Amino acid sequence: MSDATSPVPAAAPVARKVTSIGLGLLAVGGALSAWAFFDEDLRTRFGFGYMVGFTFAWAIVLGSLFFVALQHATASVWSVVLRRVAEMLASPMLILAVLYIPLLLVALLHPDSTIFPWRNPTSEMAEHAVHVKGSYLNETGFLVRTALFFSIWIFFTWFFVRGSLNQDGGRRADITERLRKFSGPFIILFAFTATFASFDWLMSLEPNWFSTIYGVYVFGGITLSALAAITLALSALKRSGLIAPELIRKDHLYSLGGLLFAFTCFWGYIAFSQYMLIWYANMPEETIYYTKRLSNGWAGVTVALAFVRFVIPFLFLLSRQVKTDERKLGMISIFILFGQLFDLYWLVMPNSFGEAGPGFGIPELGPVLFFCGVLLVAYGRFVRRHPVVAMGDPHFEASRGFRLH
Amino acid sequence: MAKREVVGMIGLYDDPDVLISAAETVRDAGYKKWDCHTPYPVHGLDDAMGLKPSPVPYVTITAGLIGGALGMLMMWWMSAVDYPVRIGGKPYFSWQAFVPITFELFVLFAALATMGSMIFLTKLGSWASPLHDNNVMIHVVTNRYGVVLDAADEQFSEEQARALLTGTGCQDVRPLYAPEGEG
Repeated sequence: MSDATSPVPAAAPVARKVTSIGLGLLAVGGALSAWAFFDEDLRTRFGFGYMVGFTFAWAIVLGSLFFVALQHATASVWSVVLRRVAEMLASPMLILAVLYIPLLLVALLHPDSTIFPWRNPTSEMAEHAVHVKGSYLNETGFLVRTALFFSIWIFFTWFFVRGSLNQDGGRRADITERLRKFSGPFIILFAFTATFASFDWLMSLEPNWFSTIYGVYVFGGITLSALAAITLALSALKRSGLIAPELIRKDHLYSLGGLLFAFTCFWGYIAFSQYMLIWYANMPEETIYYTKRLSNGWAGVTVALAFVRFVIPFLFLLSRQVKTDERKLGMISIFILFGQLFDLYWLVMPNSFGEAGPGFGIPELGPVLFFCGVLLVAYGRFVRRHPVVAMGDPHFEASRGFRLH
Repeated sequence: MAKREVVGMIGLYDDPDVLISAAETVRDAGYKKWDCHTPYPVHGLDDAMGLKPSPVPYVTITAGLIGGALGMLMMWWMSAVDYPVRIGGKPYFSWQAFVPITFELFVLFAALATMGSMIFLTKLGSWASPLHDNNVMIHVVTNRYGVVLDAADEQFSEEQARALLTGTGCQDVRPLYAPEGEG
């Protein structure tokens, strides 16, 4: 679509800038990824790196969709002025589904791949526990479930984003009614799909180990990264002039900051709960997870994770002044997104490097840059084609005047 | 009836928007000792009154940190000093096991201190109010909005206070008297 058809005249230069940064990241990340993929020695590391890059983008996109559904489910008025930002962030779900295929090829369908150890029951990992889980953890089941997850997410992304875009012409209250009606059922589906996707994609990297709270842990990361991405995108769009400055009051920022703070605490609570129960029970098949992450140089990463993901954002977001300051909120959002990457590294990479200790290089960097680029290109396209404010929502005016006190 | 001491002046309003602009006028006139009474929280009144941010959060975090530290200290003393029992082969001082109680005491201290300092700062518990004595409380808890200028303020005089409130568009300005038999 050409720039001339853009609904907002000022959008074209912003979209161009976002797209060109995205294309740059995509090219560099893609080249590094390709290099790592075609190098026989680096291919397995690349598979794990791609897993981190993919789940990073997935967390932002799926979490934003959850945020949109949550606002409809609670009939929130405060968030109407910024809901389109979340809709924009959720929009590239279909692209993500396509980009899951390379991971399937490298990790699941490639005969020599050791990324999912449960695939090959004759390997050294084929212990009793894996055999017991065979009726769930098998290639057919994995593929069927992954297809099901993406079908549900893609359908509801289309449903929520298209519905909101259709409102732009006139204030159709019937659309809001329909979106609200389906938001509750979607949140239930989201809870199941996000949990089982985290089991399949991340927890099954260590098939002997299990944790029932794992899905909640990943959910915390998903929601936190979506909130950080929404705050960051909102602040960037406001600065670029596409969102009028008077539209976003301090009260809106304070609400986003409060949610960031709440989910930082939530993540800390869940992460510590998982650790403490396993530490307390001291069962070998459970402690293996933390033994791996507290030895061979990984202890430093684990302690750093607690600081990056909890202590630093917690202390920073404690202040009310920070929660109403757009620039500081943007800074902490970048930090929280970095924390999400760091968390995914901690979840995934001990299986890649194992006893060699933590490492970082081209196979890890490439996919992350690539996925950041993919998201930016998709968002640039969205900004060019659609308004970034849901002006057609019947509650738009009420949302503008939102005050906390 | 003997002339009673005037302890303040109240302006009663029927419209919250007029109340907001009245509060701005009083704030800009430099009044220190005054307050607004409304039947429900009126949005934007804090800014219009020029209220400073509440000191309660600092009380909360201080009390919370003290509570958490005391919790950790208590469990260290009980489990590692006073009555050490080896549990599950773990060290006497197992901080992981102490975190939940440390957290609970953090929350308990923080919550009680928040509650206590809130009650203290808002003077809850001082049961007497000139609003009751002068039969205007019934208005500001049902359907009207009041601005009360306290006679203890250094600029206060009956004429000046009445003029200020009338100037904000108030139709109903009443003096508040001290209860009979008290000065």
